[in-house]
Amino acid sequence: MDFNPCMKHKIVRKTVREFAEAELGPIAYEIDKDARFPWEVVEKMRPLNFFGLQIPQKYGGAGMDSISYAIVIEEISRVCAAVGLCVTVHNSVGAYPILFFGTEAQKKRYLPPLACGERIGAFCLTESNAGSDAGGVETNAVREGDNYIINGTKIFVTNGGICGTALIFANVETEGIRPDTRVFIIEKDTPGFLVGEIEDLCGMRANPVSSLFLEDCVVPAENILGNSISGLKIGFTALDAGRLGIAAQALGIAQGAFDAAVKYSKERQQFKKPLSSFQTIQNYLADMATEIDAGRLLLYRACSLKDENKPFSAEAAMAKLYCSRVATTVTNQAVQIHGGYGYSKEYDVERFFRDAKVTEIYEGTSEVQRMVISRSILTKLT
Amino acid sequence: MLNLVTCIKQVPMVSELPWDSKRGTLKREMADGMMNPACKHALEAALLLKNKFSGHITAITMGPPMAEEVLHEAIAMGADRGILLCDPHMAGADTLATSYTLARLIEKECADFDLVLCGCNTTDSETAQVAPQLTEELDVPGVMYVDQFELSDKSLRMQRTVDGFLETLEMELPGLISVSTQQYSPRYASFSGLQEAFNESDIKIYGIKDIGVDPELTGKKGSPTKILDVYSPMANKDNIVLSGSPRNVVEELFKKFDDKIGSAIGKDLKEYE
Repeated sequence: MDFNPCMKHKIVRKTVREFAEAELGPIAYEIDKDARFPWEVVEKMRPLNFFGLQIPQKYGGAGMDSISYAIVIEEISRVCAAVGLCVTVHNSVGAYPILFFGTEAQKKRYLPPLACGERIGAFCLTESNAGSDAGGVETNAVREGDNYIINGTKIFVTNGGICGTALIFANVETEGIRPDTRVFIIEKDTPGFLVGEIEDLCGMRANPVSSLFLEDCVVPAENILGNSISGLKIGFTALDAGRLGIAAQALGIAQGAFDAAVKYSKERQQFKKPLSSFQTIQNYLADMATEIDAGRLLLYRACSLKDENKPFSAEAAMAKLYCSRVATTVTNQAVQIHGGYGYSKEYDVERFFRDAKVTEIYEGTSEVQRMVISRSILTKLT
Repeated sequence: MLNLVTCIKQVPMVSELPWDSKRGTLKREMADGMMNPACKHALEAALLLKNKFSGHITAITMGPPMAEEVLHEAIAMGADRGILLCDPHMAGADTLATSYTLARLIEKECADFDLVLCGCNTTDSETAQVAPQLTEELDVPGVMYVDQFELSDKSLRMQRTVDGFLETLEMELPGLISVSTQQYSPRYASFSGLQEAFNESDIKIYGIKDIGVDPELTGKKGSPTKILDVYSPMANKDNIVLSGSPRNVVEELFKKFDDKIGSAIGKDLKEYE
């Protein structure tokens, strides 16, 4: 068992840190304030394969391992979580299900434009009566000849306002057979595929989260992902992978807030001494560092299980549950160390504090993660 | 096809390192390494030449085993192969022993080179001596602190800033240049480049026997330099009070110091005017 990062992972971290600090650092405050998605940075990310991290090279991606993937998401999110969110959702739940379940024809058609970032991916499961209850989907698809007519509304779609390719969960109604959920690959220019207003959210404001409306949207039957694979199976598999990305994102937010807190505690003087000389602050920093490190170990273990093609569902849920809690507690503590300034938008920790919360909610709430973990414990053969 | 060599050095990723008075060296193990910024600019210049004229780039470095990292990075950016000089006999080399050793490697592995590109200085010891000494060792013409250059038919036309003057120089190849950080902003390595740099990269590790250097002339033995102390450059502080309306004060500040502010944040502020 080797706990040291290998040379490749060190270089990946360095490369992304340099990119994120130079390209996202100067604009992170402004794009959060204006809720603006930074296309100009996406332009620079495209040729570097940020949008095809784990897609094999034959489909135009970089074909990286899962720990490298986690490091990339962590390092972007350490500077700008909203762009980290775009990249992780695109790669994990946007592209990964096509790679994992798609037919060869679907992979050849849809992966290259996703891998080069020409089209941004989105994953559309949540509805007004579905989300944690993945089986509650009400969007329906009715067959007409070689096509399906899809109607329904998806809400809180990450990348909703910018997506080019969306994976839509819908119930397929076949006469005489119980409706079953299928996943449809739908491109944004399809008639009847409409983007709703951008949500006004607490954090991750630079990511255009929106509703998507499907109004008599005509989709060829060949667009059903993996032909006749159950939508729920695709959903659960995709979310397992997605959780690694969100855990990495949460960890990046925590690391960003922690780094800012360490720096500030050395600079800020009270009682004629730097804050870092007070034992209370030292204890805070020690706890924050320990929590971040523990989260990182959980995450990298889950990633390495995935790369070894071993079951990683419970481990991914543990990593996501733990890292998202670390994100909310560490950002809270970082604001506390900054005092009044931490409550001001002038300092990055205020943004990190707002961005952290949603990591406990999306890609399965913390309560759902506990369901996944406890199910794996209780069904284990003894 | 151009045969290009870039010499790159791994330096600590922090601005200051403590001095180990017992060993007479910097405590390098206390920080992670990175590719020296000026070397990265030199590599970028080589990559642009390669793209324009087609060429082959050999990236070479000398250092401990962990210095292999910068070769992977160079290959990920677009270099074709890497060579690490790594041998206990090479440890503790000063600039003379370093340039002697690098020259012997270049003569052995890239004898028919067209151009050697080095960074103009390094952020760890700031001597800026290796490139000019390497020119002497290789017995080729060399120009240091080159800001930008154009290549036409084996002749290199270069510009550099010396004492506030802009010099234009010409040199026949083969030759050596050291590149400043004024131009040639380095590209980021792509992830597919990184993946390839680890999957099938051509990196060789050589010791003194492989390149046939005299052990008396390399490493600490071959180093006449004795370092007595290392210190950070002293900063001169001046208190200047600007007065007037906030707008005038800011305008005055940028008028007086835009070069300094620009170089501190790594941007040309004239672009924003």
